[in-house]
Order: sequence, then C-alpha cells, then structure tokens
Amino acid sequence: MRLKGFRSIRGALLWRLGIVFAAGMGALYLAATSYAKFAADSSFDQLLTGSAGSIAETLSITPGEVRVDIPYAALDMLAAAPDDRVFYRVIGVDGKTVTGYSDLPFDTAATRRGGATGSASFFDARYRGEAVRFVTLGREVRVGGRSGWVWVQVGQTRAARSQLARQLTIRALLPIVAMTVLAGAVVWASVGRAMRPLEKVGQDLAARNAADLSPIATNVPREVETLIAAVNQFMGRLDKNMNVLRTFIADAAHQLRTPLAALLVQIRAAETNVGPARKDSLAAAGLSAKRLARLVDQLLSDAVVAHRAEARHTAPFDLKKVIEHSLHDALPLVGDADVRFTTELPEAVMLGDEVMVAEAVKNLLHNALVHGAADDRREQVVEVLLRRVGPTLELSVSDSGHGMAAEAIDAAGRRFNTGNPAGGGVGLGLAIVRQVAESHGGSLRVENRAGGGGLRVTLEFAAA
Amino acid sequence: MMRIARMIWACLALTLAACGSPPGGRGDHAGQVVTVYSTTDSAVFNPVIADFRRLHPEIRLRYVELDAGPLFERFVREVDGGQGSADIVLSSAMDLQVKLVNDGYAQKHSSSAADALPPAAKWRGEIFGLTFEPVVMVVNPDLLSAEETPRTRLDLVRSLRDRLDFWKRRIGTYDITQSNVGYLLAAQDARQSSEFGALIESMGKVEARTYANIGVLIDDVAAGRVALGYNVLGSYAKSRLTQGARLRIVYPEDYTLAVVRAAFVSRTAPNPQGAHAFLEYLMSIRGQRILATRSDLAAASTRVPGQYGRLGVQGAAIGPLRPIPIGPGLMTYLDKQKRERFLANWRTAMGRN
Repeated sequence: MRLKGFRSIRGALLWRLGIVFAAGMGALYLAATSYAKFAADSSFDQLLTGSAGSIAETLSITPGEVRVDIPYAALDMLAAAPDDRVFYRVIGVDGKTVTGYSDLPFDTAATRRGGATGSASFFDARYRGEAVRFVTLGREVRVGGRSGWVWVQVGQTRAARSQLARQLTIRALLPIVAMTVLAGAVVWASVGRAMRPLEKVGQDLAARNAADLSPIATNVPREVETLIAAVNQFMGRLDKNMNVLRTFIADAAHQLRTPLAALLVQIRAAETNVGPARKDSLAAAGLSAKRLARLVDQLLSDAVVAHRAEARHTAPFDLKKVIEHSLHDALPLVGDADVRFTTELPEAVMLGDEVMVAEAVKNLLHNALVHGAADDRREQVVEVLLRRVGPTLELSVSDSGHGMAAEAIDAAGRRFNTGNPAGGGVGLGLAIVRQVAESHGGSLRVENRAGGGGLRVTLEFAAA
Repeated sequence: MMRIARMIWACLALTLAACGSPPGGRGDHAGQVVTVYSTTDSAVFNPVIADFRRLHPEIRLRYVELDAGPLFERFVREVDGGQGSADIVLSSAMDLQVKLVNDGYAQKHSSSAADALPPAAKWRGEIFGLTFEPVVMVVNPDLLSAEETPRTRLDLVRSLRDRLDFWKRRIGTYDITQSNVGYLLAAQDARQSSEFGALIESMGKVEARTYANIGVLIDDVAAGRVALGYNVLGSYAKSRLTQGARLRIVYPEDYTLAVVRAAFVSRTAPNPQGAHAFLEYLMSIRGQRILATRSDLAAASTRVPGQYGRLGVQGAAIGPLRPIPIGPGLMTYLDKQKRERFLANWRTAMGRN
C-alpha cells in the first residue's frame, strides 16, 4: 500500500519535516523579531535615558525661570546611533517649551505614568516624516514657593534600532536555517540507509528459483520485521499447500489407476469370453466405469469446495431447501431404500456458501445411500434429521449399514482414507464434508449408531 | 540607466529617424541651473567652479554667497514657504549645517566618492565634508619674534598675563556674537580646552579687539595694528600670505581645530540631478585635487594624498589636528539657552557688557 499522495518515504519525510521546520521558522521569526526589537529598544533606550538624564542634571531655577545647560555629551552620545536624527526639548512648569524643538509630539499619558514613579517613560511617534523614539524624564522643582514638574524630552529616529533588530533577527534565524538544511540532509541519507536491507531483500527474491519457498534470511530493521515475518509465513503456507497438492495429485493418480486397471482387465476378459461369462465381464466393466465416474465426480467436487473455500462467497440461505434439493438430486441412487427427511423447522437460514454446503449434503446422502446398504434381509433406511439446538443447526444423516470400525471413525474425513477398504469408496466424500464444515466454522461428527444400527454423520452450523 | 531611459523616451516622442546617432550623453542636462548657497568666498571656490563648467558645460551654476546666519534663515524660510530654494548648501558653519540636516532639509547622496570620506566628515549619507581647514593664530613677525610667539593656548594665556601693556588692544579674534564661524570655534574651544575660560578672561583684561569679518583682523595683523589674531581660518591667512602680507601662521601645538566645509543636497532641490552631479564632482578626486592645489584647502577625501601638505607646512608642524566631527553634538551650542548663556559669559569675560 502506498502512502496517500506520496511516491516515496523520503519525499514524505522531507515534506513533513519541511512543514514542521517552516512553521517553526515562522514562529521563531516572529519571536526573534519581537525579541530583537525589544533588545534593540532597551539598549538604545538606555542611551536616550542617559542623554535626558544628563540634561536634567543641569536643571536650575533662576527666579521665575527654568534654565538648562545642555551638555555637549547629551547630544553627542546619541551619535552612537550614527545616522539618526536627534530632537530634544525642555518643558517648564507652565507647560511651555523652555528650549529645544517646541513642536515635538508629547505623550501625556505615558509621561504621567513615568512621572509618577520618577522614572523615564518612552513612546514612539512620527515627527518630521520619520518614526521617532522619545523619552521623557520629569523633575519636580519649586518655583516661586510652588512645586511643579519640568520635563526633559529627547527623541531619536529609529534607523540604528531597526538595523540592530534586523541583525539580531538574522543571527537568530541563521542557525535554524542551517539546522533545517542539516536535518534534511540527514533524513535524505538515513532513509537511503534504512531502505538498503529492503532493497537487498528485493534482490534476493528476484534472484530466487521459482520453487524456492524458504524464509528470507536477510537482517532487516525492526520496523520491517513484521513485514518480512508475514512474507515468510505466507511462503510457509504456500509451501505447505504445494506439498498437500502434490500429495493429493499422487494419491488421486493412484486412486484413478486402480479402477482403470480393473476396467482394462474386465474389457480384455469381455473380448475373449463368450456367452454368459462375457456378459458378467461387461457388467463388471460397467461397474468399474461407474465407480471411476463417481471418483472423478468427487475429485471435481473436492476441487470446487477447495476453490470456494478460498473465494468465500458468503450469503444467507435456507439449509432446509438445500437438503430438499439434494434429496431430489439423489433420487436415482435411492432404489429400494427408504429415505426419510425429518424436520420441525419451517426454514433453517444460515450464513455461508450455498454451493459448498450443497456439495457437503450431496456427499453425505451419497455415502449413506451407497455405503449404508444393509444386509439383504433388512430394508435399507436412511434418516435425515434437521433440527435446531440453541444457536446451532444440526443436520444428521444416519444409515442402516454396518457402521465403521473405531479406528476408521477417528480417521474419517481425511482424504483417501476409506472407512471400508472393501466397500469400494475412495475416501473423498467425508473429506469434502469436513472441509465444508471447517470453512463455515461448523463441525463434523461421525459415530456408529447405538445398537449396531449403522453410521450417523452429524454436521453443525451456526444459524443466522 | 536613467539617461538611457530618457533617450528612449525622447526617441518615442520624436521620430525614429532622429535616433540613428549615438546619444550625446550630456545633452540631457542642457539648460539646467544649479543654485548653490555658500558661505565661502567665491574667490576661494572659483577654480573648482571653472573646472566644473569645463566638465559639465550644460550645467549653469548660480553661486549665491551669503553669511552663515542669513544663509540659514533664508534657506529655511524659502523651503518652509514652498519656494524654490538652493539645490546645494555649502557652509563652514558646521553646526548650522548639521541642524539643517537633522531637521530634514537634506536628501541622501551615495557614491564611492562619499565612501572615501573619513567617518567624522559625513553624517547620515546626506551631509559631506569637502575640505579641512585648520584654525590658526596669525602673528605679525615684526611685533613678536619667533621666541616670543606663543605656541600653545597656555603660552598665550601666560604671555597675556605677563605682558599686559604689550598686549593692550593688540590681540584680536572673532566677535562671536556676530560671526557664526567664530561662535562655532569658541564653542569648540570651550569644549576642548581647559584654558579657554582663562584665555577669554585674559583677552578681556587686555581689551581684545573683536571682528565680525576675519579678513579685517588679518589686515590689522599684517599692518601691525594687532600683534596676534586668534582663531583664524587657515585658508584666509594662507591666501594673504601668498599675496605678500607680513604674517606668520602658528598652528597651536596643544591642539589645532579644523573646520570642515560641509555640503548637502536640499531635499526640495529644484534640480536634484544637477545638484548631485556638482556634489559628486566636489568629492571626486579631480575636484578634491583642485580644491587642494588651487584653493589652498586641505582635501577631505582619503583618496587625495598629502592632505595637509598643501597647507604650506609639514604635517608634523601641525599640532594634534582635531577636525570638528560632523554630528548631532554640534547642535548643543545652538540651543537657545546654551547660546544665550555662552554669549553672556563671553561678553562678561571680554568686558563688553
């Protein structure tokens, strides 16, 4: 089975890894950007604060007037950001600009927050067409007996900050990019390595003799051990089946040869004999041909059952009707026998393969009619009984023959095991019945009737 | 690229027949006027202007010479008023130039010539120093012998204290209340020198003369009315010297300030292409060499060898040369309160209340 949408494990791994890393990189980019901006701001904010602080230190009050003496360093230190423009102003107690740029934007709220704690407060605003970072620093002074606040405001454009932030971001991202490339290369290489044992298995299988079904011996990674084990198990089963098939063919050939040989002898006898002896020989030849036909019929039936057992055509059907059909079909064999079909069920629905079950029933009836013949002095009786015991449908076919020896009963149902070597059976009928029972999850029971009254074969199926 | 695009456009606009000949290359600047506002004497700048005309005959330079303060005010007034103003502003009042750039009146100019300037001679990729100009003392050799001539500011302070009668009204310097360059130099002195306070105090005691125009001071020194002129731009002194004036130039050995003449292209330049071309020329090896050889200014570009050789002295004879760096720090002394206080202190020390 192939992974949906992917033609290779390597591609799938790389693709997924790529997605994970891309997502990670996106998240990291955002994190790095925000951290870099924070870092750049905090380092340059210190510079701004230093500048504003050095201006605030020069604050003095001459009667009624706030004075500052801007230190050279206050503006010069801001040249640490080499290309940034610098703005400043000092706002007196009355809110008017004492000195500096009188039109600078002023964030009253931020300034109040900072002022309350006596610390610097920062805000960004646009001024003269550029984004500018401002710091405001408040100092409480007493002018004319009343106290008030003097604000020192210093601003600087953001070019150096942005540049620093960009550099920090890139430096943070470079290792991630490198890691991604490295991880991709490692995945590429290790998938190739991991797949090598599989390639070897493939080569081994391709180089094998068609009849060689021995297990694959190559060492494989744990992840594909189950696959190899399954393949080995499958080949084991195949091997066993092949062996069964070979045995079957050998047995079948053997079984066919005996009646054929007999037939040839009888035909030859018929050619030489004259009179009543010739007639007897012909009759014997006819009997042999009939038995041969029956054998071929059973081999065919066995093949059908074996094939259908593999194919599994499962559907609900009525077992009672199947029995009635089979009885009808068996009419030519009945002769003088008394066949009784007893059931109290209006219908007996079960799940399974109707054709297979029909074969099984046909074989049961055939066995009972052909091999269950009683002594001449007794009337031949075949009893067919269908009943329901709990969840189980039980079909039993009993005859009034001699029954079977105990050891034969144990072996009943194996191919080419006849319960009665003299009886002329080849031992396929019950084997077919057993296979049908087993492939339907049912069971087969063979027993001699109590009181020496012949053989009873019972089939059990689960009712639908 | 631009030139080719323009040519193609011109071809489309006219007829294909006119396009057979190769492009003139210079024709696209035809009739352009580049307006330069400058504090420098046009006499000092004439050689480079003439050379630029030879190189770009299609560009006509309109050279407007102004004092630093009025230049600043006029330029700001014109740009803010939306009128066409200068394409290029060129001034030795570095502090005012820096303020204009800081306040967003300049536009970027990038070139390899700009890269060849030392870092202290440029800022933001917008303003560029073209020449270094040492700030010197000029001495009348008839009044002060070589031995008597002070070599450092401390020497000068001692001499002023020791020889009160000799120095009475015989030392001159900028009137920093009137001259922007004078103010810039005094402010730099105040920043650099611990003796500056004592120096102006001593100058005040000998009733130093102050000049709005430094040329007059040099004339007075040459004529013997004044023995020593303090904080004189080297180029002026040098040109008087070559004209035959009786002068000795002293490069203070404690430190010698160097003023940087700085130029930028106006953000609202009516003719930015021509302006960039002129600025690029001024920074080019050719322009820098002419400034150095013909105008007696030290080239700022590191590509021109012997930067200070043209000053007429050996580099070793110049004290630690401290070019005033172009940067936001220069705006400190432009602060309204700072300036008022500095000028008030200066007036008090000089006894000019």
